[in-house]
Amino acid sequence: MTRELTGSEAAALAEALVPGSVARTSETACYLKPEMLVETLRALRDDPAANLVHLTNLCGVDYWDHFEVVYHIQSFEKNHLACFKVEAWGREKPEVPSVTPVYHGAWMQECEAYDLFGIRFTGHPNLYRILLWEGYPGWPLRKDFLAMPGGLQPGLGEFAGVARRQEPPVKVVE
Amino acid sequence: MSGIIKSEPFVINIGPQHPSTHGVFRIKATVDGEKVIDAEMVMGYLHRSMEKLAEERTYTQNIPFTDRTDYLSSMSNNLGYCLAVEKLAGIEVPPRGNAIRVIMAELQRLASHCMAVGAFANDTGAWQTPVMWAFREREKILDIFEVTSGARLTCNYMRIGGVAFDLRPEFEPMVRRVLREFPPFIDEMEGLLSGNEIFIARTRGVGVLSPEMAINSSLSGPMLRGSGIAWDIRKADPYCGYEQYDFDIPIGYNGDSYDRFIVRLEEMRQSLKIIQQALDGLPGGPFRTEVPLALRPPKGEAYARIESPRGELGYYLVSDESPAPYRFHIRPPSFINLSALKEMTVGGTVADAIVVLGSIDIVVGEIDR
Repeated sequence: MTRELTGSEAAALAEALVPGSVARTSETACYLKPEMLVETLRALRDDPAANLVHLTNLCGVDYWDHFEVVYHIQSFEKNHLACFKVEAWGREKPEVPSVTPVYHGAWMQECEAYDLFGIRFTGHPNLYRILLWEGYPGWPLRKDFLAMPGGLQPGLGEFAGVARRQEPPVKVVE
Repeated sequence: MSGIIKSEPFVINIGPQHPSTHGVFRIKATVDGEKVIDAEMVMGYLHRSMEKLAEERTYTQNIPFTDRTDYLSSMSNNLGYCLAVEKLAGIEVPPRGNAIRVIMAELQRLASHCMAVGAFANDTGAWQTPVMWAFREREKILDIFEVTSGARLTCNYMRIGGVAFDLRPEFEPMVRRVLREFPPFIDEMEGLLSGNEIFIARTRGVGVLSPEMAINSSLSGPMLRGSGIAWDIRKADPYCGYEQYDFDIPIGYNGDSYDRFIVRLEEMRQSLKIIQQALDGLPGGPFRTEVPLALRPPKGEAYARIESPRGELGYYLVSDESPAPYRFHIRPPSFINLSALKEMTVGGTVADAIVVLGSIDIVVGEIDR
């Protein structure tokens, strides 16, 4: 079985290699400081004890007041999987450093997160809208997308996830 | 006149409508003569924004969406999603449900690899015969799906907590027939292609990926194993009781298109082995745990993955205790396997680019989602 590292185990690995890189931990994930992200992941990839060589999954999540970029990174030799996160605050221009220099496979997934969330990955060699076309209005996977100018079609407003924040258990859509 | 023919780079579009792209996908190849010097991918023609749609529907209502991502392996997609929800909500699946899931997932792998191998032969110039042979065998598997779930392509058969229906009495004889008739087909295919001089000339040394590059580019599935890395999630992180079954992980040595083809052929043999064992030891009892339709998993997040025919298929779900997922993310193997396409095609000819794309075995529904 692949061992899924808890947040504190992943934080211990990161902290041992790059002191001061961990912002906080949760039960499942370790939050890294954005400015030290690339350095930390490079150290984790090259260190034989951590051996986190394979970036499996990279995606963004919108939490209304901030965005999170989630990295699932695994080791083949140790057979473990760690979850790291980075927070980007502000809806106008959220920015996260790109990990493409460390993991080449991140480039398409970062393009996708940029395309659908509008998170800018600084240092990415070629950040473009990979699924939608240039000039598409807004960022479709943001929670407020349908309420944005240009994103709202008459009648679709009912479906907007906007309601979710004010009244948390959402009613089931038939 | 100096007598020197001047040449300049020229851009050709492979696709979006082209038989070798297996869907609507475009490679903008910059060529110098016959040589590809730059390749850019253009995708998104089939983008349906499933991740956004899924945020407005309940967990159970989302299962049919997963059929429509990788439409050549709908069973595997259902399975990956249901595993993620079960992990999030802490639901146990009864042993019979797990065994049925394994049989279905492996039958789906056979059907999907039939398509991959047949279409790959088509791309290399073995026009129509291999693909028709492959379709002939795939048909028998689709018939099994039709008998069991009522649908051939978008099966929608897995449910959270088990499977939708129990097996029908016709099921076992039909699977036994596949088990009997499949090995001769694989041998036939191998005899037809893997020793064929033209096939070898078209695929050996084409689209070579070093193991380091394969890992660094986040590849998975036959792409990774073709480059010589024995990584299979069914072995490394068993789900649905795969640890009970005895099978091997085939790997390639050169990381070229030929190796990826051979790995797929051999994987079909291993799948047959798994189906045989699962069918012989099919447990009785319930096939599903009862789960409320408007399931509200506890607050949290889960990432579950399976070995789909194309590689690691992962689902990342975030729950906010509402009946709909707060975030629904698919880790699509076809999409991520393309991240090394440029490295594999640049330096080869245009005809090689077609072979490389065929060897990746993309499904555009999954790339664009």
